[in-house]
Amino acid sequence: MPRITVDGEIIEVPDGRTILQALDDVGLLMNGVDIPHYCWHPKLSIDGSCRLCQVEVEGIPKLQIACNTSVQEGMAIRTDTERVRKAREGVMELLLVNHPLDCPICDQAGECKLQDYAYEYGVEASRTREPRRALKKNVDLGSTIKFDQERCILCRRCVRFCSEIPGTGELRVFNRGDASVIDVHPDFPLENDYSMNVADICPVGALTTQDFRFKIRVWFLEDAPGICTGCSNGCNVHIGVANNKVYRYVPRRNDDVNDTWICDSGRMSYKQIGGGARLKEAGVRGEAGRLENTGYEAAVREAAKRLRSMIEEHGADSVVVLASAHATNEDLFTLRRLSDGLGAGADGVAVVQGKSDALLIKADKAANAAGARALGFGPAGPVLDRIRDGRAKAAIVLGHDLLDESHLGGTEALEGLDLLIVLDVQQSALHKVADVVIPVRHAAEKYGTLTNHAGRVQRVEPAVEPAWEAWSDGEVLTLMGQALGLEGFEDGYDPAKISEWMSERVSAFAGVHLRVVGDQGRPLPGERA
Amino acid sequence: MVISDETRSKIDAEIGNFPQRRGALLPALHLVHKDHGYVSTDVAKELAEIFEINPIDVMEVVSFYNLFYDRPQPRHHAHVCTNLPCSLRGARSLLRRLESHFGVRAGEATPDGKLVLGHEECLGACAYAPMMRVDDTYFEDLDFEKAKTILDGLE
Amino acid sequence: MLKVPYVTGYLSEHFGDDGFGTLSGYEARGGYRGLRQALDTSPEDLIELLKSSGLQGRGGAGFSAGMKWSFMPTDSDRPKYLVCNADESEPGSFKDRILLERAPHQIVEGILIAAWATGAEKTFIYIRGEYAFPADQVDRAVAEARERGYLGAKVMGKDFAHEIVVTRGAGAYICGEETGLLESLEGKKGLPRKKPPFPAQYGAFGMPTTVNNVETFSHVPHIVCKGADWFRGFGTEKSPGTTLFGVSGQVQRPGLFELPLGTPLDEIIFEHAAGLLEDRPVKGVIPGGMSMPILPANQLDVPMANEFLRERKTMLGTGGIMVMDDTTCMVRVACVISYFFRDESCGQCTQCREGTGWMNSIVERIERGAGEQSDLDILLDVAGKMEGQTICAFSDAAAWPIQGLLRHFREDFEAHIRGKKCPFPGSFEL
Ligand SMILES: Cc1cc2nc3c(=O)[nH]c(=O)nc-3n(C[C@H](O)[C@H](O)[C@H](O)COP(=O)(O)O)c2cc1C
Ligand code: SF4
Ligand code: SF4
Ligand code: SF4
Ligand code: FES
Ligand code: FES
Repeated sequence: MPRITVDGEIIEVPDGRTILQALDDVGLLMNGVDIPHYCWHPKLSIDGSCRLCQVEVEGIPKLQIACNTSVQEGMAIRTDTERVRKAREGVMELLLVNHPLDCPICDQAGECKLQDYAYEYGVEASRTREPRRALKKNVDLGSTIKFDQERCILCRRCVRFCSEIPGTGELRVFNRGDASVIDVHPDFPLENDYSMNVADICPVGALTTQDFRFKIRVWFLEDAPGICTGCSNGCNVHIGVANNKVYRYVPRRNDDVNDTWICDSGRMSYKQIGGGARLKEAGVRGEAGRLENTGYEAAVREAAKRLRSMIEEHGADSVVVLASAHATNEDLFTLRRLSDGLGAGADGVAVVQGKSDALLIKADKAANAAGARALGFGPAGPVLDRIRDGRAKAAIVLGHDLLDESHLGGTEALEGLDLLIVLDVQQSALHKVADVVIPVRHAAEKYGTLTNHAGRVQRVEPAVEPAWEAWSDGEVLTLMGQALGLEGFEDGYDPAKISEWMSERVSAFAGVHLRVVGDQGRPLPGERA
Repeated sequence: MVISDETRSKIDAEIGNFPQRRGALLPALHLVHKDHGYVSTDVAKELAEIFEINPIDVMEVVSFYNLFYDRPQPRHHAHVCTNLPCSLRGARSLLRRLESHFGVRAGEATPDGKLVLGHEECLGACAYAPMMRVDDTYFEDLDFEKAKTILDGLE
Repeated sequence: MLKVPYVTGYLSEHFGDDGFGTLSGYEARGGYRGLRQALDTSPEDLIELLKSSGLQGRGGAGFSAGMKWSFMPTDSDRPKYLVCNADESEPGSFKDRILLERAPHQIVEGILIAAWATGAEKTFIYIRGEYAFPADQVDRAVAEARERGYLGAKVMGKDFAHEIVVTRGAGAYICGEETGLLESLEGKKGLPRKKPPFPAQYGAFGMPTTVNNVETFSHVPHIVCKGADWFRGFGTEKSPGTTLFGVSGQVQRPGLFELPLGTPLDEIIFEHAAGLLEDRPVKGVIPGGMSMPILPANQLDVPMANEFLRERKTMLGTGGIMVMDDTTCMVRVACVISYFFRDESCGQCTQCREGTGWMNSIVERIERGAGEQSDLDILLDVAGKMEGQTICAFSDAAAWPIQGLLRHFREDFEAHIRGKKCPFPGSFEL
């Protein structure tokens, strides 16, 4: 580990890295050591073209670009001298020569690196009197991204992204000199599973997503850390919230999970949180055969009551339990204890399968499939068999993934049940046949942990509050456990405590729980190798 | 196939000269310009297949170089050098007179599609100024009459 | 016949002789003796010879050729390449073209000696796209050399294989910059590479590569035949040898003159190029291709070698001398120069991409009579911001000439600004 001196402070950095990479590795870049940069991005190849990251390196007469200068033992760097400041100012002013001065109507305002640095270096406009380049505005590069050529500062991050990350290479720089423009080939628009990331990495307002453009000014958004629930990769996201409404997901960096990327469908999955398909009312099927809203807690108690009479009539092994891979580890640990406490005939988890790739997208289309499995929920098959062949009289079902083609493909098999209790985030055809339906919280509305495909346990916390009554699955199941007089439910449902308890009780989770996983998650002990 | 078999075999021969296939892309682009005068979308797609790259790789290269075109061209290119040594010896007056002779402005094609009159940067003929390049041929030590005769004589 | 007037030296002795371009003609005049001699010399000794000759690259940067060759790794089994830079596009330069046309075997011989010295297995001669006729001459020469067994598996029967590939640019000045050239050679846009890595480690197709200029290679056979001391007999202590000065602009005899480095500029202009048209006075001279700052009339006594030119804040560059008489409007000169650099910037670096365009817009506005006094400070400021901070030296090359014009001819700019029009009615037309 070479030791280098940055503005007089000695720091130890990894070997074989450039100055920016090394500072980023040790977490100091823009967090103690400010070296502004446009073209460099931690997860893309080095371009070295914007020339903003210049620093003084002792012993070298010319300023050096920090993004492409390798660290060496004893190297002394200065980022705070007059020369460095002047060089940055120079780059800033030149970048503004052709940049439209329309921040007030630019959607990037508030998270624009050009605006930020220009302010910081006191160059708010270029002294140019010449007309700016007139270029294409409002171009559709594909179905997800809009492009404003005039705002582009040609850092070529988007170009490198497309070539290096999805490998699709749709974007290029055409022409040369100050006629250079980013564009697509007319026959090959920007369409890939990760296309919207280009909007995140664009340092200015040149690339924006069709979805988010002009919805809200970013400074009205609050940022909550979250986990995408689109698949079992568990990509880390920033959840953008205003007035208790989710406006977007953008990637949150986690080098062990998703680097700085998320897939497009995961990004759009934020819409499920506030979407019209949410289940908002608890219901109990009454004499008339209709679901009636008897109030939330009453519905939970009714579920427990009916379950008790089923057990009394047919025995506990007439009950089956189906977990949801969308619920948290804490929810599922509670379900595990309920299932075991009851002595249910069978339990398992239904996971929907979909496409996968070598980058992020995983076949398990739920965030916590691995957690469910670690908690002993096996394949859904044996549970569904019992339902189909009539051995099961009562079922507790979390979520509606069992309706997928790969499982039941519909509600028909469920009609033979005497009691179907459903806890779900969303509405589904299940509610036509269920006896009790209970709305529960989305992962972005509760505390807990999710275990991704690689066994990494990651924290979720409430970014928004549902505007209707909804508890987390664990809380509902706890009340049911209490009502059924089972052991271990007396203390109620506190996700942090439950999590800790789980880490003591379930060896797969030894030592890993909500309070210790931090904002970057932690691998399960078995996965540490 | 838009690229002829003959050109294709020349391209293959060029590929043999380079340690990596793509090295022969510029030679190949010169060859297709000889045949077609420009790189159409179809030609770009065929070249992309030959070189195992994407059509956009071909098009961005075409966009970078002055001698490559992405749209159909007039039969001839007549470029008067207007860099300093030539300008010091009357290149720009020559170009103005040619413009009015052909009734076009530099950069424009004559309506009959015969030629595009243009200006160009230094062509390495500064001691023979003024000069112009017509397609692959240099014409040097020009005056208006000489240049007019040369251009009027083109097919 | 060579059409332009010229003065001969060892490089250009046979320029007037059409036979010199053919293999038999070249050999009849002593050609390929250097190669024969070199192949009997160890590569280390050859590199030492080159170093002691003091031959500096003639492509513009003036770096020692022997040093450059010594950077090529000797302990690697990766293929090594040479590149002959024949992209010559520096305005005011035409020496390489004439070398390609009149003396292609001299280049091939120089290349083969360098290949032996560096262990390169292949050379790419990259000729600018517009040089169709010169490229034909080189093609022919390479074919002749191959036929004669000077190229191929056993060069001159020795256990040494070499191949030459002639390839063409396509109209982009930046492909003369050696790493832009390498990108272009690989079939890409000619975007100069950031350094490190340097070509001797990571060059053409990722392999160790040495890039030299056409003229640099042309000197090599002579040095091998006649020795370092002989070579040092020409030129100055610090800048040995002759070079091909190309003189253009408003002189009586524009032409190519092979003269020792250190020959005074006024001698070249007034003796060899026979003075100015109509005997007008000189206003300014660009001494080394468009990238080099201008000299005013009172500095023509400068010896044409870098050690002296640097004192006058300019450089030898490619030796392309552009002479301007007293009618010349220096703001127009600035327009032509800045337009060129705007047009030819590859566009990667912020300073270069935006600075070239901005400078060009300002000088064109001043020329139209719409300039302001503050524009001059901005010009200098922008030029300063473009210097020394980019991927390649193009940005410096774009900034220096504008700085030079303002250093020596600020009054021309101010007169435009005061009078709100060009005060030089007799100047060349824009
Ligand atoms: C913008 C720019 C353009 C250049 N153009 C040429 C050129 O056309 N021919 C050339 O030989 N060198 C040119 N050079 C210099 C080359 O980068 C390189 O230094 C040279 O080819 C090395 O050969 P030498 O050492 O024999 O001079 C250029 C450099 C720059 C920065
Ligand atoms: S569009 Fe954005 S990311 Fe792409 S080059 Fe321009 S500024 Fe950079
Ligand atoms: S890869 Fe999976 S977890 Fe990541 S963003 Fe896409 S759907 Fe969400
Ligand atoms: S200095 Fe200019 S020409 Fe050189 S790499 Fe940068 S932008 Fe391109
Ligand atoms: S960040 Fe280093 S040059 Fe752009
Ligand atoms: S300036 Fe015209 S050929 Fe050089």
